[in-house]
Amino acid sequence: MTRLFTAVTTIAALSAMAAFAEGPTDEVATNPPKAPYQKVSDLVALPEFLPGIGELFVDPATLPAGPFVAYDHDGRLVSTIYMIPISQMNADTSFDDLLAPGGTVDHVDIYFNAGHPGVEEPHEHIVLWHVPAADEASVAN
Amino acid sequence: MSISFCGMFLLRTKPAWPTEMRRRHFLRWSGGLAAALAISPRLAIAGSTIEISMSGRPDGSKVWFDPYGLMIQSGQTVRWTNRDKGNSHTATTYDPRINDRPRRIPKGATPFNSDYLLPDESFEVTLVVPGVYDFYCIPHEMSGMVGRIIVAGPDDTGLMEYDDGDLPPEALDGMPSVANILAHGPLRHQEG
Repeated sequence: MTRLFTAVTTIAALSAMAAFAEGPTDEVATNPPKAPYQKVSDLVALPEFLPGIGELFVDPATLPAGPFVAYDHDGRLVSTIYMIPISQMNADTSFDDLLAPGGTVDHVDIYFNAGHPGVEEPHEHIVLWHVPAADEASVAN
Repeated sequence: MSISFCGMFLLRTKPAWPTEMRRRHFLRWSGGLAAALAISPRLAIAGSTIEISMSGRPDGSKVWFDPYGLMIQSGQTVRWTNRDKGNSHTATTYDPRINDRPRRIPKGATPFNSDYLLPDESFEVTLVVPGVYDFYCIPHEMSGMVGRIIVAGPDDTGLMEYDDGDLPPEALDGMPSVANILAHGPLRHQEG
């Protein structure tokens, strides 16, 4: 229940924050985003393009939570992603003032991830999509 | 059947990529005691190279080795291939020489570590010393991505369980028992 409350609270906060934005910041508007963002596949052993996510960038100083920003094959910013370790979803941990550079949020996905290089423990992906659900296909493969 | 060769051969390839981009890690040595197999265990997988897939759900919510428990004969080669398009994996033995982990390979065996395999990359190792080899995926141990290979010897010596207290509970939960492998043969991942 605590995890669910945390996730719901996070979504509400992030969505409310993004609702006032009109577009992405200049920092992340185009692929590649400006420093301090770096391509995740240059930082850790992961494919350059992740099916279901796209080409992923992050400021390493913000790991593990992010934000990560993801682009499709055409270089369009499609999502902002936060990766929250399950072990840190508890009463003694909070994630405050996470950046939300991607602009308007169309919808949000939350799902479990078993881990990967960079965030090597089970965690939740909180995905703020900046494109309609139908356009998620642009990063499907 | 008798085998007079004792040694190990590690090979990591990236077969689908251009030759100049291939990465090969080669380790070879000789020495040790020759293993003579007096039996051919009926549950050991046949063939010179045994395939283990490294896989996962498309969204990364679950990852696994398939098979995750199996018995082979001494001298057979095991090949791990990353079939997971959205993740990287390792096949790494539990051993103090690699990440200072508890030893879960037979005494006298040499540990191995594939390093991170990107999609379609493979790693091979030929196992000769009989006994139980436990391995894990470095970024996914906490999600229970572990496996066990039994290398059959001339008798059942060495086929014992390891101490239950030496690994994280997530890894222990995913580790098949020796008895289960001996009773059922290769243990395949069941999705769903």
